[in-house]
Amino acid sequence: MSASEASVPPPNEAPEVPEAPGQDAVAGPPRRAARAALLASVFVIATSGLIYELITGTLASYVLGDSVAQFSFVIGLYLFAMGIGSYLSQYLESKLLERFVEIELGVALVGGLSAPLLFKVYTASGAFRVLLYGLVLLIGMLVGLEIPLLIRLLKFSLDLKQLVARVLTLDYIGALVASLLFPSLLLPRLGIHQTGLFFGLLNAFVALGSTFLFPITRADRFRLRALCALTVLVLGAAFAMVTQFVERAEAIYFGAPVVHSAQSPYQRMVLTQSPRTTRLFLNGNLQFSSDDEYRYHEVLVHPAVAALGRDPRRVLILGGGDGLAARELLRYPSVEQVTLVDLDAVVTDAFRTLPIATRLNQGALTDRRVTVRNEDAYKFLEGCTESFDLAIVDFPDPGNYAVGKLYTDAFYQLLRERLGVRGVVVVQATSPQYARESFWTIVTTMEAAGFMTAPLHVYVPSFGEWGFVLAGGEGLAAPGGLRIEASTLRYLDSAGLPELFRFPRDIGRVAAPINRLNDQKLVAIYTREWSVWTR
Amino acid sequence: MDRRAFLSALGTGWLVQTAGEHPPRIAGQVVGASHAAGHLLRGGAPVVSSAVVRAVVQEKADVVIVGGGVSGLSAAWRLAPAGLDVAVLELEPRPGGTSTWGEEGAVPHPWGAHYLAAPNVEARAALRLLQEMGAVTGWDAAGRPVFDPRRLCHAPQERLFYDGEWHQGLVPTDALSIAERDEMARFLDIEEALTVRRGADGRPAFQIPLDMSSRDPDLLALDRLSMEAWLDREGFRTPFLRWYVRYAMLDDFGGAPEDVSAWAGLHYFAARKLRTPELEGSHFLVWPEGNGRLVKALIERARPRIMLGSLAMAVHDLPQGGVAVDYLDVARHEVRRIEARAAVLATPAFVTRRLFPAAAPMLPVRTSSPWLVANLHVEDRFEPNLPWDSILYEAEGLGYVDAAHQLTDLAATTVPASALRAPRRQTVLTYYRAFGGADTTAARSMLLGSAWEGLADGVLRDLAPAHPHLREVLGRMDLMLWGHAMPRPRPGFLGERPFETTCALGPRIAWAHVDQPGMALFEEAQARGVRAAELLAGDMGVVLGESWL
Repeated sequence: MSASEASVPPPNEAPEVPEAPGQDAVAGPPRRAARAALLASVFVIATSGLIYELITGTLASYVLGDSVAQFSFVIGLYLFAMGIGSYLSQYLESKLLERFVEIELGVALVGGLSAPLLFKVYTASGAFRVLLYGLVLLIGMLVGLEIPLLIRLLKFSLDLKQLVARVLTLDYIGALVASLLFPSLLLPRLGIHQTGLFFGLLNAFVALGSTFLFPITRADRFRLRALCALTVLVLGAAFAMVTQFVERAEAIYFGAPVVHSAQSPYQRMVLTQSPRTTRLFLNGNLQFSSDDEYRYHEVLVHPAVAALGRDPRRVLILGGGDGLAARELLRYPSVEQVTLVDLDAVVTDAFRTLPIATRLNQGALTDRRVTVRNEDAYKFLEGCTESFDLAIVDFPDPGNYAVGKLYTDAFYQLLRERLGVRGVVVVQATSPQYARESFWTIVTTMEAAGFMTAPLHVYVPSFGEWGFVLAGGEGLAAPGGLRIEASTLRYLDSAGLPELFRFPRDIGRVAAPINRLNDQKLVAIYTREWSVWTR
Repeated sequence: MDRRAFLSALGTGWLVQTAGEHPPRIAGQVVGASHAAGHLLRGGAPVVSSAVVRAVVQEKADVVIVGGGVSGLSAAWRLAPAGLDVAVLELEPRPGGTSTWGEEGAVPHPWGAHYLAAPNVEARAALRLLQEMGAVTGWDAAGRPVFDPRRLCHAPQERLFYDGEWHQGLVPTDALSIAERDEMARFLDIEEALTVRRGADGRPAFQIPLDMSSRDPDLLALDRLSMEAWLDREGFRTPFLRWYVRYAMLDDFGGAPEDVSAWAGLHYFAARKLRTPELEGSHFLVWPEGNGRLVKALIERARPRIMLGSLAMAVHDLPQGGVAVDYLDVARHEVRRIEARAAVLATPAFVTRRLFPAAAPMLPVRTSSPWLVANLHVEDRFEPNLPWDSILYEAEGLGYVDAAHQLTDLAATTVPASALRAPRRQTVLTYYRAFGGADTTAARSMLLGSAWEGLADGVLRDLAPAHPHLREVLGRMDLMLWGHAMPRPRPGFLGERPFETTCALGPRIAWAHVDQPGMALFEEAQARGVRAAELLAGDMGVVLGESWL
C-alpha cells in the first residue's frame, strides 16, 4: 500500500493505483449526505481531540503544578501519538467504515472519561502520571488513526487536491474552535468533567449517525449500533452523576465559576469570577471578595499608618500575597520600600501576572518599591536584621499548627525586634464575632510578647465582623485621624475611625490564654469556635 | 464533604480501579554501630599481634579521653577553659555515642537520644551548656531557667494510634473505659505526690542529679521491687495503664517493667521538678538532630582533638607518672600509643574493665539494653498538623519522631513541584525499638545477626497498622544497631551503697559514664564527665576555678 495516502503525493510518483473493489468496504462513491457527514465528523474529531488534550493538560497542571511544562508535555505527546496513529492507519485494510465507527467510539469513551478517571487516580497518588500520559497517548493515537481513515473513505468522491484541502481546513478550524471555546466558555461554564463527557457524547453520536449513512452490512450495523448505544449510556450516566457531584462540590462550594486554580505544596488556590465579583479561596476558605475587600484592606492598613504618627518609609508585609494590602500602602508617597514575605510563590505569582488579579491589586506586586520574598515568615524574621517602621501581618486564620506558629508569643517577640521603638504592627486576627476567644487570645499573646495593643474591627459583608490588632511600643494609642485624604478611599474616613476601636459588648474582651509554640491553644480554640458556625 | 471524600465519591461506581500495586524498592543499609571493631576488644592479644604494633610513642596530649560520647565530651568541655591539649579517642565515624546524629537527606536526624527534658535547677552543668547554646535565655525571679520557646517541643507534640485511629496526645482519654481513666488519674496523682515528696533526710525523693535524691530507706526500698511488682502492689491493672508504664520504661531505660527497678521507674515519672507557665505545653527541648545538637555544642566549645576510628585497647598507669593508652587505628590497622598526663575513661563498665583490669573490682556490673534505631527518609504530601512523636499502641517499637517538626521554616523541607511530580514535603522519621526482655544477650545476637532486609521489613510491619502504604513514600531506610545502648536499671541497681560510685580509678585515671549511676540521662552523663575533669585537674595541678556541678 502506498505511503502517500494521507498526504499530497510527491510530483514524481506514479499516479495512485485505485484499490481493488472489496478491499475497502465501500463499493462505490459514498452518497452526498454521507460525504457531508464524513466531513462534519472531521470537524467534530478535530475539535474534540484538542478538547481532550486541553483537559488533560489542565488537569496535569492542577495536580502537578508547573503549567508551562505540563501543557508542553501533553501537547508534544499528543501530536506524537497522532503521528503513531497515522502511521498505524496503513495497516487497517478492510471494512474501513466499521473501523472508523469503532475508533470513534473508542475516542468517545477514553476522551470522555479521561477527566473523571484522572481525578479518581489523583487520590491514589502514584499512578496519576502513568495514567495521564497513557491517556494522552491513547487519545492521540485514536485521533491520529481517524483522519487518514477519513481521507481514504472520501477519496472516491473528491479528487486528492480538494480532499486534502477540505479535510485539513476543517481539522485546523476545529482546533481553533476548541482552543477558543475551552478557556472562555467550556471550562468556566460547563466544567472540566462535563466538557470531556459532552465531547465524548458528541463523538458517540457521530459514530451512531455514521451507521445510518454508511453502507454497512446488516450484521455489523446491528453490532455497531449496540456499541454506540452502550457508549452513549455510559457517558450519559457519567455526565449525570458528575454534574451532580461537581455542582454540589464546586459551583455551590465556590459559588461561581473557577477561573484559576493551582496547587502549591501548602495549599490549593482557587480564583472564581462571576460577572461582578472575583473571589480568592485558599484551601476552600474565602480570602477576599472583590465586592468588599476594600473594607478589610483599608482598615488593615490606614489606621496602622495613622497610629505610626509619621510618614511610613520602610514597611514589612507578612503574608498578604494577594498584594491588596500593598496596594493600600502604596497610596502613601512616603513609602520607599515594601518587603512582602509570603511563603507561597503560587499565590504571589498569580497576583503578579494574572490580569484578573492585577486589576484588583493595581499591579502592586510589580511596583518597583515592592520586593516579594517567597519564604517562611518565621524563618525570615529569624534571619532578618533590618528594621521597619510598620509591619502588616495578614496570614490565613490559625486553623492549623503550621500557620498557628505565626500567632505565638515567640513569633511576636521576633517581630517586635524588627520594629524600631516607635514602630507599629497590625495583625489580622480572625472574627471577634465568630471566634471571640480566638481574637482575644491573639491580643493577649501580643501583649505577652511586650506589645501595647489597640484592637479594632470592621464589618466586611463577605466575612462578617472582622478583627485586627494594632500594636506597638509604649505610648501606642488609637489614632485620632487618618494620614491620607479620605476621598481617595472607599470606606474609611477620619470621623469613623474611633468607631473601629470601640468593641460592642457581644464581641468585647474575654479572658484568653497566651498562645505558645509548645502549647498552641489558639488552634484548638479557633477550630472549636468556627466549627459551631460551619456545621 | 471534604475534597478527598468528594474525589473518592466521584470515582466510585463506574471507574476502574488503579492498576495492581507493586511494592517499590527501598534503599538503605546498616550504618553502625561498629560491633565488629568493638568486639575485637574481646579478643585482646590476638588482635594486637595481627596488627602492626608501633612500639614508639606516637602521640602526646595533656589529657586523653577514651570515648567521644556525652560524658567524654563533657569532660573536654570542662577542661576547655584551662587551654589544655585534649585528645578524644572515638571508635565510631561520628562522635556523640548514643547521642549521635546523621546529616544525610533532607533534614538532620537523631541516631539515638532525641530530646532533653528541661533540666532541674540542680542540674547546673546541663543548664550552663544550654545557656551557652542560647537555649536558655535567662533566669526568672525564682532562679528558674527561661528557655528559648523555639527549642521547646512545638505543638502538637504527640499522637497515639489506638483502636484503629490517631488520637492527639499520649492518652486517648475519649477512647478509654471509665476504669482506665480512673486508674490513669490515680497514677497521675501518685506521680504528682512523688514529685514533691521529700524523704526523712529532707532531700527530694527523686532528683536529677541522681545523687541528690533522698537516702530515706523507705524510698530506697523501692529498688528491691520491679516496676511491674510495684504496679501489682498498688493495684494498677487496666491494660492501658500497664501499657503506658511499659512504654515509658522501654522508652527511657530500654527495659520492660518486669526488668526495671521500681525506684528507677518512679524516678522517671517524679524527678522533673521544673514547673513554669512556659513549660506547660511541653518541657522537652528538641532539635532536628536530637541530642546530636548538644554534642555539637560541646565540641564547638571544647574543640578537642577528636580521633575518630580509634579503638582504645589498654590503659597503662606509667611508673614515671602519667598514663598511656594503646589504641587500634582501625583504618590503618595498627596499634598506636598516646601518652598523656591524665586520662578519662568515658566508656561503659564492661569496656572499662577490659581497658584497665586493675579497676575491675571497683566497677558496677550493668546490663545494657539493645536497641534498633531506623531513620526513614520519606517524601509525602504536606500535612500541617503532624506531631513530633507518633506512637502505636501495643506495637513492637516505640513509634517515631519527625526530625523536621521543630523547624520554624516550612519551606526548608518542601520539594517544589516539577514537571514530573507534585509538590511534596521531605522529612526523616526516626523509629525506635528497645529490646526490653530479660535475656539481653539473646536479643543482642538476634539483632546483630540479622540482615538489613529482615530488620527493615520488621520496621515496616510494625508501623503498618497506622501506615499501610509507607513504602510508597519511603525513599530510604538506614538502621543503627545498638548492641549496648544504655544501662538498664534493674531491681537492685542502686547497690549496697546507693549513689556512691567510683570516679577515680587510679592517680591520673578517672571514669565518667552513665554506668556509674546506672541510668542513661543526659544530665548524668554530663555531670560524670565534668566531675572526672575537675578531679583530674586537681591531680594535675590545673586550676579550673569553681565547680560547674
